Amino acid sequence: MDFSETAERISQKVMSHGHAVEKTAIETKLRRLVEEFGVPLAEAERTVTNEMAREFSISGLQAGGPGEAKTLDALVPGEWVTVECKVVALTAPPSPSISQTGIAADQTAAVRFVVWSRANAPVLKEGNWYRFESAVVDQYRGSVNLKVHSGTTIREVPGGGAIKPVITPIAALRPGIASVRGKVIQEWEATHDRILQSGLIADETGSVRFVTWKEEGRERLNPGTVYTVFYATVDEFNGRLSLTLNTATVVPEEGDIEVSRGDASFEGAFVHLAPGSGLIKRCPVGGCNRVLSRQNYCPVHEIQPNFQYDLRIKGWLDNGEETREVLIPRAETESLVGMTLEQARELAENTPLGMDEVFLRFRDALLGRYLSCRGREIDGRLLVSGCTRLRFQPERLADLLNRAGGSA
Amino acid sequence: MTNGTETSPAPRREGGFEREPARRVFAGELRESRIHFKEGQDEKSPSFVLLPTGARCNRVFFVGTLTEKKKQGEQNLFYRARVVDPTGTFFVMAGSYQPDAMQQIARIEPPSFVAVVGKPNVYQTPDGAVLISVRCESITPVDKETRDQWVLDCAAATLDRLEKGASTPDGERARKEYGMDPAIFRKMAYEALAQLRL
Repeated sequence: MDFSETAERISQKVMSHGHAVEKTAIETKLRRLVEEFGVPLAEAERTVTNEMAREFSISGLQAGGPGEAKTLDALVPGEWVTVECKVVALTAPPSPSISQTGIAADQTAAVRFVVWSRANAPVLKEGNWYRFESAVVDQYRGSVNLKVHSGTTIREVPGGGAIKPVITPIAALRPGIASVRGKVIQEWEATHDRILQSGLIADETGSVRFVTWKEEGRERLNPGTVYTVFYATVDEFNGRLSLTLNTATVVPEEGDIEVSRGDASFEGAFVHLAPGSGLIKRCPVGGCNRVLSRQNYCPVHEIQPNFQYDLRIKGWLDNGEETREVLIPRAETESLVGMTLEQARELAENTPLGMDEVFLRFRDALLGRYLSCRGREIDGRLLVSGCTRLRFQPERLADLLNRAGGSA
Repeated sequence: MTNGTETSPAPRREGGFEREPARRVFAGELRESRIHFKEGQDEKSPSFVLLPTGARCNRVFFVGTLTEKKKQGEQNLFYRARVVDPTGTFFVMAGSYQPDAMQQIARIEPPSFVAVVGKPNVYQTPDGAVLISVRCESITPVDKETRDQWVLDCAAATLDRLEKGASTPDGERARKEYGMDPAIFRKMAYEALAQLRL
C-alpha cells in the first residue's frame, strides 16, 4: 500500500503551522497502524494527524483533504466524516439543546442533521451548500443521522448544482429520508390535536401512512391527487412505517397513476370474531363515518339519532403458524354470512337481543370456517376486498395420504 | 393453509401485540404432551405446551364431534365436554371466565360437529396421572365439510412438524424430552386421513 500521498498531506499541514516534520516518520506511523493493526487508512490518517497536533500543540488540525468528502449514501453510523451537501429543509428543533435540525442532501442521498446548541455553529440557511468537516454519523430511530458538534467546522461552499432527488418506490421505503411519488388514497380523521392531516399515500408498489403535524405554512393534501413528495422523513414505529411530511416539499402533479390495489392475501381458519362486528351504526356527519356506541354517541359529533347502519366483520384468521387480523366490509360480509344489511336490520329490530343477535348469528356462521381473504394490508391488518370460503379438496386428501404413508 | 417455511417460534415484535397462532394438533398427540413452560418473567407472558412433534403451543384449534357435555359446580358454574377426533378425545372446559364459550356450549346438543379454539393446560391429578384439558375461547357448531377440512389441515401441520424434526429449537427439545418415535405420529395422521376416505 502506498502511504506517501497521505503522509505528504499530513506533513504539509504540520509544516503550514511552522513545524518541521519528517515525512518518512509519518509514513512509518501510518504503515504500522494500517498493516500491523488493521486500522483503515482514513482512521490512521486521523490518528496520526491528531498525534502531530498534540506533539506540536497545534489546534484545529483536521485530517483529510479536499476531495475527500464522502457522499451521503456512503455514511456509516459511528464514523467521523467530511461531507458537502445542501440544506434542503429546516425543521423546528425539538429541544433547546438543539439549535437546528433539518435535512441535508447531495446527489446520492439525503439525511437528517442535528446541530447541537453547544456546537456554536453558524446558522445554516435552507438552499445553501455547506461543507461539514468532522461531523459525526450516528443512528437515530433506525435511520442515519448527521450530528454537528463543537468539533465540527462548517463552511459555506459554492452550490454543487441542482439536485435531482431519487424517487423511492413505496414498497422499498426504509427509515430515513426519502422522496416518493404517490396518490393520496385515504384521509383519516385526526387522532391528535397537533395533527393537521393523516392518511394513506400509494403508488404502483404499495401504500404507506403519512402524517403532517400542525405547523405554519403546512397545507393539507387533496385526496385523489398525485403528489411528488421530496425529502419526507420515514419513521418506524412498532414495525410500521410512516411518512412525516413536515420536512418535505410537496408538489402536486398532473394526471393520475395506477395505485396498487393491495395484493396481500391470507388463508386460514376464522378463530375469533371481535366486538364491533355484525350490525353497526355509523355517524352520518359528512366524512366522519365513525362507529357509534350503543347510545348512538360519536366520539366527535356526540349523539347522532340519524345514524346509518352498516355490516362488517372484524376478526382473526389463523393458519396454525401465523395469524392475521382481517376487516371485512359490507359487500363481502353479506355474501360470506348470507345475510343482507336489510335482513340484519330487520333481525335486530324484531328480536329481543337486538344487534347482539346479529353478532351471535355471525359468530355461528363464521367461527371455525376456513376462509381465503385478499386485500390491502395496513399495519398488519388486512382490509379485505375479496373473500371466499374454502372448500374441501379431495385431491389434497390423496396428496396427504401419500405424504403420510409414502415415507413411513 | 400451512406455511411450510415458517420456523417456530416466530420472533416477537418489540412493543407490538402478536396473537399466538392456534396450532393444529390431533387429540392423540396432545394427550401425550407433558411439558409446559413460560417464556419471560412477566405475569402476562404467554405459557406454552410443548407438543411431542416439536412445536410450542399456546392455543389450539380443532374440529371434532362433541359427544358429551356436563354442567358442574354451583357457585362457579362450568362445563366439561368431550370432543372426539379420529385419533382420540379432547377434554374441553368452559368456566365463568369464558362466559361466551359457556353460553355457546349450553346451546349445543351432542352429538354435533364443533370447532373449538382454546388454550391447552397440563394438570397432574393427585394419583400422578397427567391430564391435558383445553380451556375454550369459543366452541361453535360446524358442518361435516369443515371437520374434513380440519383433518386435512391438521394432518398437513403434523407432517410439517415431523419433517422439520429436530431442525428447530422446539423440535430438538421435544425430540430430547419426549424421545418418542416420529413414526407413531405419521401413522396417526395417515389413519385420520384414511377415515375420510370411507
